[in-house]
Amino acid sequence: MVQSKAWMIVSLVLTCIVAAFALAEVYAVTRPTIERQAADALRASLAEVLPAASTFTEFEPGTVWSGHDASGARVGIVFKTQPRGYGGPITVVVGLDTAGIITGLGVGTDMKETPGLGLKARENWFRDQFKGRPADQVRLKRDNGTLDAISAATITSRAVTDGVRQGMEKHLHYLRP
Amino acid sequence: MNTTPSRWQYFVSGIIKENPVLILMIGLCPTLATSVSARDALGMAAAASFVLIGSNVVVSAIRKVVPSSVRIPIFIIVISTFVTIIDYVLQAYQPAMYRVLGVFVPLIVVNCIILGRAEAFAYGHGVFDSLLDALGKSVGYALVMLVMGSLREIFAAGTWFGQAVTPAWFRASPMLFMIFPPGAFFLIGILKALVNRLTIRA
Repeated sequence: MVQSKAWMIVSLVLTCIVAAFALAEVYAVTRPTIERQAADALRASLAEVLPAASTFTEFEPGTVWSGHDASGARVGIVFKTQPRGYGGPITVVVGLDTAGIITGLGVGTDMKETPGLGLKARENWFRDQFKGRPADQVRLKRDNGTLDAISAATITSRAVTDGVRQGMEKHLHYLRP
Repeated sequence: MNTTPSRWQYFVSGIIKENPVLILMIGLCPTLATSVSARDALGMAAAASFVLIGSNVVVSAIRKVVPSSVRIPIFIIVISTFVTIIDYVLQAYQPAMYRVLGVFVPLIVVNCIILGRAEAFAYGHGVFDSLLDALGKSVGYALVMLVMGSLREIFAAGTWFGQAVTPAWFRASPMLFMIFPPGAFFLIGILKALVNRLTIRA
């Protein structure tokens, strides 16, 4: 019976049904937590680059947020951009105050840059260099600017730097009243 | 070493004598790819162990009703179910580790240690023996991952589990190549040679 053709099909179907039910159950149990974790992580990443803001509202779903302080006054915007690095897109989150000056820079943990080289773009000293700069000062030393690159090859550094500058130029209009 | 096969041997053999990576030489790809630091390596070993134990037990429990002609698809469904479960669980309760392991969690499906044990052991042995086999192979896998991850992290970054363990001059210019694939091949070769030295008696 075990080796019959009918059981061959039935056993496969049964396995799939049991697996599907098991996964549906696990999914239902874990989904609220996963969604909460994602929302928390997003809020934390926004607050990190625009510390003056206590609440955020979405301008553009998933890319541009407006930051407000406790009194509801607008203190700046946060935008997300994904420049192309060496190993794929790099998620960069940038906070700008109302004058268009960078208040903070976050580099996503999901990037696939080379460990020990491009991955260093996450380190504080590299990100902190951007603070206090307007768009026209976001340029690497290699490109006649003043920012230090993270490695001699500058692929990741340039991707982040150019992505931030272009993103700023593109999103500054959100700061106008 | 005990020469009469006992159930205890199913567990013990996985650690050195039948170490999945260094003796059976299976599951090398994820081993080389994810052992870039001690913490990543142990996280990967824990996730893979969960899947290995789960799939070995289930495959063994259903082995008498699984037709041999469709056993591989059924094994893969069982394995990928456990992988998806650990994927959801890590995302929900260990988001920091999930971010580190990323794409390598779903890739546990194709870790051939797991399919290898299902086919070579669990399909022909009882549930308890398959559990012992999975536990032993998990310990063996975790040991290799820990050694590889630790050495690569120490040589390439000068840290161990994120803590500085080497002098500052070394951390200023560490042996970066150890974090790249050549470093992994280099290290697995040395480990294999060491294990051969320990296990092959002239």
